[in-house]
Amino acid sequence: MAYIELNKVTFSYPDCFEPAIRNLSLKINKGKFVVLFGSSGSGKSTLLRLLKKEIQPHGVLNGEISINGAPIQETTGLSKEIGFVFQDPENQIVADDVLHELVFGLENIGLKTNEMRNRLAEMVHFFGAESLLHRKSHELSGGKKQQINLASVLLMQPDILLLDEPTAQLDPVSSREFLDMLKRLNEEFGMTIIMAEHRLEEVFTLADEIVMMEKGQILFNGEPREVLPQIWNSKNQAFVPTIPRLFLSHKGTGMVPLTVKEGRNWVQESSAFFSEESKKMEYPIGDERIGLKNLSFRYDKKNDFILNDLDFSLAKGEFYALLGGNGSGKSTFLKVLAGLVKPEMGKVLVNKKKTKIIKNIELINLIGYLPQNPKLFFIQDSIEKEIQYTMKHWELNNVDEVDTLLNNLGIKHLISSHPFDLSGGELQKAALGCLLIRKPEILLLDEPTKGLDPISKQNLADILQSLHSEGMTILMSTHDVEFAAQYATKCGMMFQGKITSEDVPSEFFKGNFFYTTMLQRIARDLQNRAVQTVSEVQ
Amino acid sequence: MKERFEKFHPFIPFLFYVGAVSLLLLLLHPFYLGVGLLLILIINFFHDRFQGLKRWLFLIITSFILMIVINPLFNERGRHLLFEVGQHRVTFEAVVYGGMNALSIIGVIAVFVSYNVIMTPNKLLFLFAKILPQFAVLLMLTLRFIPLMRRRLEEISVVQRSKGISVNQGKWSTRVKTGMLYVQALLTYSLEEAIQTADSMKARGYGNGPRSSYEYFKFKKTDAVAAVYLVGLFVFILFNRVHGLGYLTIYPIMETWQLSTMDTFVLVGYILFLSFPIIIEAGGLFRWRILN
Repeated sequence: MAYIELNKVTFSYPDCFEPAIRNLSLKINKGKFVVLFGSSGSGKSTLLRLLKKEIQPHGVLNGEISINGAPIQETTGLSKEIGFVFQDPENQIVADDVLHELVFGLENIGLKTNEMRNRLAEMVHFFGAESLLHRKSHELSGGKKQQINLASVLLMQPDILLLDEPTAQLDPVSSREFLDMLKRLNEEFGMTIIMAEHRLEEVFTLADEIVMMEKGQILFNGEPREVLPQIWNSKNQAFVPTIPRLFLSHKGTGMVPLTVKEGRNWVQESSAFFSEESKKMEYPIGDERIGLKNLSFRYDKKNDFILNDLDFSLAKGEFYALLGGNGSGKSTFLKVLAGLVKPEMGKVLVNKKKTKIIKNIELINLIGYLPQNPKLFFIQDSIEKEIQYTMKHWELNNVDEVDTLLNNLGIKHLISSHPFDLSGGELQKAALGCLLIRKPEILLLDEPTKGLDPISKQNLADILQSLHSEGMTILMSTHDVEFAAQYATKCGMMFQGKITSEDVPSEFFKGNFFYTTMLQRIARDLQNRAVQTVSEVQ
Repeated sequence: MKERFEKFHPFIPFLFYVGAVSLLLLLLHPFYLGVGLLLILIINFFHDRFQGLKRWLFLIITSFILMIVINPLFNERGRHLLFEVGQHRVTFEAVVYGGMNALSIIGVIAVFVSYNVIMTPNKLLFLFAKILPQFAVLLMLTLRFIPLMRRRLEEISVVQRSKGISVNQGKWSTRVKTGMLYVQALLTYSLEEAIQTADSMKARGYGNGPRSSYEYFKFKKTDAVAAVYLVGLFVFILFNRVHGLGYLTIYPIMETWQLSTMDTFVLVGYILFLSFPIIIEAGGLFRWRILN
């Protein structure tokens, strides 16, 4: 008897025609690390939620779910046995400071103070979070917040840990740290972990078992190395991470490599084939469109400068990807560029002419800015109204053009919905649509790839590329190295409030150790060749 | 001050502040008030060299002036005439009465400034969590939510500015409309996000049974001694206050300002009570000197 068993489970939300989970059977043994993946809306979250009684969604449930032999409906005190970590690090937090947040669950189950102290001391030590205990929860970085959320759940000593895209909002370094923590929990304590995830590059190396879902059903299920070739041979190639992709696209034989180490071994053995010239399309790069000179900015007189003496120039027709760690000032930089916050010192040049910083109308007309959280973009309660509002505000009246635009973006059928009812990818496209109506010359995108599943990401890439080929100048900040390497014409690194290096991708990624693509890592000191992405290899 | 007075169990400072406020309001006598205010200023000085008080300076000065001016303006009673403005009598009694009230109010404000330094939300939360656990959760959520909403509103307005929409420019009517839209967006967004918070609370077993509370403050022996000290003095002063001591009767006939023997005793008690944080700190410094 398996530890967690789902037997012919069907679940539908109220007022929904299609069931969210359809006749799904799954067995998970104790101590396994299971990764659920699939495009958004495939039922991953619903499945996870069904496993935890307290947060089971409302709807009609058929079939049996049993944990440790007992049907889930009859069990009591589940909160202690099953821990759940959600996607958004900020929204899960209840308390104003870290200590209260950590003990929140323990207080709820009415634990004695003494035992709380014991558990807390242990857990804080395990996480190395002593210095955070008395900090305000909102001051922490996303990665730290998510670790606190995990710690708070772990304090309740669960046997099963469920995670719903826990690293979607984190930068690569924090997400790596978070995943390492999960790996430790799984290996050292034998905790059963089920995680839904989009960022597959790293999690496949940790997983004992991967489950691919589509439309409420399980498509593939098994060990990563066995399942990956099957996925590659189906229409879901986008879900195969870079290293196995390299292997499979060259019809390699033997064990499918998952890690950089395995990948490198395989490349060496099979004496593969890195072509040196890239097949990237050449785009005409024009004159400088926007420039910054000696720019400095800080949010508060008491604080340090976030942007410090920064020089920058963005030429017409460029597709610029800005990389850099959390808190290095990427978002602030984009805001300054979009004229949303005023620099303390320095000049903003448009077409090499100094702008009047006070009004910024010039910049706003020129630039379309997509915020990191597209939910904040909408102030009307449907996409349609938002579009009308924008058209009225900018005195536009070419309805046909708007129609074509929406069709091109593939969001025509969504325009009557509320923005919050859309998935991450759809929401972004909708916001992008509202921006493009007024035809800005420059697009500024603040981490557009955050939290997108591989298919939406591909979709976004296609849209951006077609815009770019039509002459749009694009500047985006991103943590997604693979994305930047594949599509950008220029990459820059933000560090300590300055752009410390910038170059074309092939040169830019050659020298980096962390900020580089998986393939680059494999190719490092192999025949002295540099390759960034699979599409270049093929 | 930070070091020692803050180290007490939160109940002790709470007791002190409740006591201090009630004494300042009850013992209306120029001597008492003058001494009391002086002590509280010293306490504030120890906290942060009047940094906190400076922010309240405007309120303090205006309320002081208003109270001193307004009472004689409306109140003509009293035997000691100071001067006459037209038909209006300005009496010594009225000035003294207004002055005492003003001092008392300033004192209370200064006590609250100090309270804000010592009684962090955490301590308050802790005090309440024991009696009303559900209320404590509510308080906790509120503490987090107010700054959160403010940050979100700021984010919304930044993003909207990028769309050319602003509440700072244009016609008043459109500005108001835009402002309403902001608030609407803020509320929808916050409610939407709050669903996740609720889920996360439920997932951690909230609402399943009686809550306990994590106590990181222990009630030590010194706390007990301090509590006895404070309560004892307070009861002593209150008892005498009920019997008419420590209070300057103004109407119908103003008493002499001079303190009786018993009045002086009460004053000593009053000083001992209000200077509790100072004594603690001074004792600490003294000890530190000896040990080092």
